[in-house]
Amino acid sequence: MRNLIAFLKRFRIFIVFAILQGVALSSYFTNLSFPRSQYLTTASSLSGKMMEINNDVTKHFNLAYNNRKLQYENIQLRRKLAQSNIKIDNGVIKINDTIFQQQYDYIPTTVLNSTVHKRNNYFTLNAGKSSGIYRGMGVISNNGVVGIIHTSSEHFSIVKTVLTENINIDVMVEKTGVYGLLKWSGKSPKIGTVSSISNDLSLKKWSEIVTRGGSGIFPKGIPVGKIKSIKTVEGKPLWDVEIYFSEKYAKLQNVYVIKNLLIKEQKEIEETIPNENE
Amino acid sequence: MINIVKHSIRFFAFIFVQAFIFNQLEIGLGIQIMVFPLFIFLLPIELNIFALMVVSFVFGISIDYFSNTYGLFASSALLIAYLRPFLFKFLEPRDGFLPGAELSIYQMGYGWFSTAFVLILLINNFWFFLIEQFKWKEVWYIFLKTLLSTPLSLGASILIQMAFFKNTSNK
Repeated sequence: MRNLIAFLKRFRIFIVFAILQGVALSSYFTNLSFPRSQYLTTASSLSGKMMEINNDVTKHFNLAYNNRKLQYENIQLRRKLAQSNIKIDNGVIKINDTIFQQQYDYIPTTVLNSTVHKRNNYFTLNAGKSSGIYRGMGVISNNGVVGIIHTSSEHFSIVKTVLTENINIDVMVEKTGVYGLLKWSGKSPKIGTVSSISNDLSLKKWSEIVTRGGSGIFPKGIPVGKIKSIKTVEGKPLWDVEIYFSEKYAKLQNVYVIKNLLIKEQKEIEETIPNENE
Repeated sequence: MINIVKHSIRFFAFIFVQAFIFNQLEIGLGIQIMVFPLFIFLLPIELNIFALMVVSFVFGISIDYFSNTYGLFASSALLIAYLRPFLFKFLEPRDGFLPGAELSIYQMGYGWFSTAFVLILLINNFWFFLIEQFKWKEVWYIFLKTLLSTPLSLGASILIQMAFFKNTSNK
């Protein structure tokens, strides 16, 4: 009898341990794939405020680099202004543009908190639902793709970056249009991988990889990186492609959230595709 | 009473230090400096195992709250809290621990502290990176990260004690 009580006593400790462990692990694994709440993340208001204070101190660390980047971007935009260009063809009469309609809008935000060496890296941004940022929107910087919005609260949002295991952004080789899915092996924040490219297609080292724009999250042609190495996957007719990212994620501060103004229309028309399996 | 105040201050201090300083440091090679096990390690030996686990769980969740890890720290903190009594029984000095002793470098000496804390760190780091990575294919990388992170974490934990803890051994 005494042994039984002792046994139960020991077992009771383990039960409490197992229950709490279950809570922690289920919270971790469910949030990896689908965020249930924003309470345990830096998108919640107290934690977000702390991150803001933290960012007030650390934002100056890479100031010179970020200023240079913004300056460079300004030059590029300035080149496109009408005043920087001479009209070459005087024979063409320009009419009000009805051919192009704006599809993507950009919301400027700042990265408050970021990690790059974890297995799955998330960034916190200083804008949320009040700025029109919702789950599923794309995030880019001026050098390349950053990630997809994972959760957003009123004033903060969290980005699932390309430095996570299954980000699965559809990308393609810029010249040839060969496409695959972007993944990350977790080894280095400079190197990503592109999977599911069939190995009967030819690829060249150093060719540019850009977004394909198929899912309507990113516009077509946002830079992702350059091909570093091409290997064959054993036992599968696929290439294992490693790429150098074009953005330095460790220093990133200024990013843009992409709002696709026509996403609803695209989703609606894609729903009309008949499902063969049914 | 003084003990409760002391440990409460440490609770918040360790959350702050782990979440805002050591989690922001990214050295490379997947190294992550873990100082939060020190808080759990230094909780009173007499503390009830249930209280120990609950405190550690809340402590871990608080770190998760500030670093977007959704329960990863809570899981590791809980594991070392659960294993702590077994470890202390195993490493107990011949005469037993002094009542009310704090297992810091000053009271237990560098040798004992390092041995016990390295064991805690190895368990903690391995569990942490295993859950974070969660792929058997990357198991060697997990071992590498565990082995590289442990000495740095031990060094940081000893430095924290030397800098902020009072030497109470010769009182």
